[in-house]
Amino acid sequence: MKKLCLDIVLGSLLVSGFTALVLLIAGAPVLAAFQNIWLGAFASTSKFSQVLSVWVPLTLCSCGLLYTFRANLWNIGIEGQVIMGAIGAMTALRIPGIESPVLILTLAFLASMIGGGAWGLLIGILKTRGGVHEIFGGLGLNFVAQAFILWLIFGPWKRPGIASMSGTELLAHKLWLTTPPGWRVATIGLLIAAAALILTWLLLEKSMLGLKLKAIGKNPKAALLYDISPESYYLTSIIIAGSCAGLAGCLQVTAVYHRLIPSISSGYGYVALLLVMLAGYRVILIPFLALFFAGLNVGAIQLPIVLQLDSALSGVIQGCCVLSALFILGIRQKRRQS
Amino acid sequence: MKKSLSGIALALFVAFALLISPIQSKASDEFIFGLLMVGPANDHGWNQAHFEAGKEIEKHIPGSKMIYIDKVNPADRPGITVPFLVDDLVSKGAKLIIGNSDDMKDGIREAAMLNPDIKFIHISGDDALSPESPANLSNLMGKMEYGQMMAGFAAAMTTKTGKIGYLGPLINDETKRLAAACFLGARYAWTTVLKKDPATLSFKVSWIGFWFNIPGVTADPTQVAKNFFDSGFDVLISGIDTTEALIVADQKKKEGAAVTAIPYDFQGACDPAPDACLGVPYFNWFPGYSHFINSAKNNTWKKEWLWLGPEWTDMNNNMTSSIAFQNGKALADGVAEQLAVFTKGLGDGSISLFSGPLNFQDKSVFLKKGETATDKQIWNLPQLLEGMVGASK
Amino acid sequence: MDVLFQHISKKFGSVKALTDVSFTAHSGSIHGLIGENGAGKSTLMKILTGYQSRTSGTILIDSHEVTLDNPRHASKYGIGMLYQEPMDFISLTVLDNFSLGSPKQSQQELRFALESLTIRFGFHLDPNRLVESLTVGERQQIELLRLIHCKTRVLILDEPTTGISPAQKEVLFPALKQLAADGMTILLVSHKLEEVATLCDEVTVLRHGRITHHATAPFHFPDLLTAMFGSIPERKDKEAVRKKGSPVLLMQNIEAAGERHGLQNCDISIAEGEVIGLAGLDGAGQSTFLRLAAGLTLPEHGTIQLFGKKLPRSTKAGKLAHKLKTFFIPADRLEEALFANVSLSDHFSLREKQSPFWHSQKRARSQAKKAISTFSIKAQPDDHAEDLSGGNQQRLLLALLDSLSRLVLLENPTRGLDIRSGHRVWQYLKNELSPKTTIIFSSPELDELLHYSDRVLVFHDGEIVLDSAVTDTSHDSVAAAMTGLDEALQ
Repeated sequence: MKKLCLDIVLGSLLVSGFTALVLLIAGAPVLAAFQNIWLGAFASTSKFSQVLSVWVPLTLCSCGLLYTFRANLWNIGIEGQVIMGAIGAMTALRIPGIESPVLILTLAFLASMIGGGAWGLLIGILKTRGGVHEIFGGLGLNFVAQAFILWLIFGPWKRPGIASMSGTELLAHKLWLTTPPGWRVATIGLLIAAAALILTWLLLEKSMLGLKLKAIGKNPKAALLYDISPESYYLTSIIIAGSCAGLAGCLQVTAVYHRLIPSISSGYGYVALLLVMLAGYRVILIPFLALFFAGLNVGAIQLPIVLQLDSALSGVIQGCCVLSALFILGIRQKRRQS
Repeated sequence: MKKSLSGIALALFVAFALLISPIQSKASDEFIFGLLMVGPANDHGWNQAHFEAGKEIEKHIPGSKMIYIDKVNPADRPGITVPFLVDDLVSKGAKLIIGNSDDMKDGIREAAMLNPDIKFIHISGDDALSPESPANLSNLMGKMEYGQMMAGFAAAMTTKTGKIGYLGPLINDETKRLAAACFLGARYAWTTVLKKDPATLSFKVSWIGFWFNIPGVTADPTQVAKNFFDSGFDVLISGIDTTEALIVADQKKKEGAAVTAIPYDFQGACDPAPDACLGVPYFNWFPGYSHFINSAKNNTWKKEWLWLGPEWTDMNNNMTSSIAFQNGKALADGVAEQLAVFTKGLGDGSISLFSGPLNFQDKSVFLKKGETATDKQIWNLPQLLEGMVGASK
Repeated sequence: MDVLFQHISKKFGSVKALTDVSFTAHSGSIHGLIGENGAGKSTLMKILTGYQSRTSGTILIDSHEVTLDNPRHASKYGIGMLYQEPMDFISLTVLDNFSLGSPKQSQQELRFALESLTIRFGFHLDPNRLVESLTVGERQQIELLRLIHCKTRVLILDEPTTGISPAQKEVLFPALKQLAADGMTILLVSHKLEEVATLCDEVTVLRHGRITHHATAPFHFPDLLTAMFGSIPERKDKEAVRKKGSPVLLMQNIEAAGERHGLQNCDISIAEGEVIGLAGLDGAGQSTFLRLAAGLTLPEHGTIQLFGKKLPRSTKAGKLAHKLKTFFIPADRLEEALFANVSLSDHFSLREKQSPFWHSQKRARSQAKKAISTFSIKAQPDDHAEDLSGGNQQRLLLALLDSLSRLVLLENPTRGLDIRSGHRVWQYLKNELSPKTTIIFSSPELDELLHYSDRVLVFHDGEIVLDSAVTDTSHDSVAAAMTGLDEALQ
């Protein structure tokens, strides 16, 4: 308990110290900057709901990453999986002749899971069959996915007469996921993210799948003696991760942008990687940290509005958090070893 | 290890929870307007022109105050949408919101429907032309066609190789008509003033994919500009919001090449490299802004689609002229005189470039002999014109 | 340099690993530190080498108090340790490993130093070979030579004879005595009484983290044993040979890569219920043999039949072997057989054949509790495998062994275990497994091989040079075959 308190103090000191230093260098009033970020994220329902709309895809990506991290896989390819999920969803949404919005949206969700999952599976197959490390496979496939979505937006799916970075034509209004009045976050998105959290917790902590993924992650060599095939669990974990990321992509299309844009993933996959590391790979902390990161992301918009600062500072703060966490972890581990 | 991590997580929350405090109240007598800019406010281009117009408004309309946010695009601000930003500006007291990019069209329209009490100006759109569009949403645009004609004219008078490059952003109605106007100005100079064969004038358009460089997503404008100069083009006209064309021309000039460039959008756009700058066609948003802000302030607002042109008698008057051409240092004196004659001709109607016979790029007829294009025909130009090289779709 | 331990205590959480340990290791002598597995020997040595901090107490070197906060400190005082598990870089060459941490010298000087040390100790090390192709024993040899070369003045040896051949023992021991005579302080951690008796001038016995006995040579074995175990473990006489049944493992014309020499010309048939001992110097082919039978290594030529079924030449071989109830326990437990920070009870869940969807922790915990008492594992069900001592890890693996296994393959099953623990392992194997279960095990200890097996296969340079029923052979002839001597020549 004493250690915990020490960590809290040390952690907050480090984070605020780092950030304050950066703000000072940028010539900004430190306290006002923090205060504006906080107010910008949580001062009103509308703002909070906007935070939640970032929270949903972040949470989904993080949940997915927990599976791959559990199997000791570095699923850098999560970005590409979000993109392919969005493309999958858009493919379903473009199917002509289906009148019922419920049906077509259901199809979109399924297609996004298939899109993201298949993209993940590809990384897995590259690893298990081709011996390509998942970091390199993932990075490569991220580029492919990015190129693919650009090609779609500038090619077959472009707006009539206009090929623009601003994306495809807006979806019909009936295909927009509904939000509670005055809110900016789709109800169904919140439900999906909450369900993903609970399911992930159950699967990772309470099921044999979770235990086996952990075992594979710790020692794939020994797994053979227990008749557990590392390959099939690698594939399972990355398919699940891809499906979660795909869902996030689908929600970006149907709930946030209502169209396909080149930066549909919003970089949430990469943020989720940091987030999961910061959470120490534990489900319990994910929703809170995701809220924190989402709040930072949304609240930081106040920096340019109010203080004329670059909002990229939020990225610096996120980086500071992760670095501080890793730093404290490192110290702790070193001390434990000695 | 796990404990320490949860500790850090907790720490972050504690740190930020301490920062809660009530919002300061605002004085009620001032008129706050919000400006959403698609790119950086200091881009020496499109966005800076808007930003400085806003600053001028603050000076000239008493009680007016601008709040703004730049880089409003999904690549720079992931997860942030236009309606959300509008909510935020409104919560800070904004009564009128300006969205300065064609790309904000959908977002501004949505926000206008959600906030019927707030007035909206969408730059470059045409929602206000449609009867179903919300009454609180107007459009404003400058007749940059004239500016581009002057740019094209200056370019064709200057080029030695007869090869003029046009660094285009993305392809839409607006950019097509601007490129076409530029071409028409150049062709007029080439054939009517210089009496040369139109077939010897080469006018090539390269689209980079967006209004400014987004690494990894758009084509790199610096590279595209280099390619132009390296393949014999000696005047490069920029249609994008940033100044890469001018910067590259300046570099090439310093290396000894006789090249020049024409930037776009902003009166001060020549400043980064005046020696390579023929001049700049620029927007002056002050007249349009002040029209709308005054009408909103005085409760005389009505839905309008404003397409403002130059003040022909005094083009560079920032109080009245929405469009102008600022001569640059690299513009030869003789050319400047001829440009003034050309401008006068445009102003008194003796020179009308969107007149027949004109064909489209695919050789189909745009205007028959004796026909003059209407505003609407120019506004919705479907493709580039015959004689121009570059993609129309 | 005299090393004085004064009132050393170490706690891991609430567990007392060491309590008030005080003794002196004198310069120019070999000091034995003996005790059962988990008695605290390794912990004490980790404190001396700076890898772990002590909870209380002081250490004096040459009557100066020293802080040993990290390994760098320790090596500054000339303290060097030879670990039971080699701490080296397997992707580098022998010479590279030798050079690391050595004082700055040219490549040639280092090579010369390595070669002369190699000759001095009668080792056979090719400086250019990659360490990954060497045996544990050879890797330890490099470490030892490196330590000597680095002017180590306090040398700690942790079970030094675990990985090396009896022949190497014969050259190592005089060398150690010579080193001591040159003034080095040598601390020998061991549980092999014979070795300790041969080598040491003084002995300190640890039991449950406390010193229970101190003696100088000559030693009285019963006293030492009592101090180590509380009572003397009895040695049972050899049991009757079990009846042979139908063939279980059939290898025909096998050629395979692995270890130093691979395995060649291997034709063997092993019957149901046999207990086969695999003898041989370290890396002579026994490990390859075991892995071939387990389907973990694939042969280059020849066929392997398990219970009449041919093993496929693919990764499915291991799966099939598993299905046919073959169980393999490798020597390197934490590397190949256990999951480092997975709890004991979770290991039991993972072992389940028909695993349910949900993970029943209750069931696994009760299994683990039962195993802990049956096998006297010193741990709780929630403890992580990595926190167990070597002996307890081995017991855990045995507890995980399916008692219905039909073929049990054990690579050095008593590695790192004391006599009593080793004996208990065999008791379990003989009592709990069906008499029809075939056991194949390798061991560097001739006594163990001859004591527990019905039949020994002796490996030399990748070939089986002797295949004999235990009753038809002798200690000497097995030892001769191991070292490649023709029996007729003796």
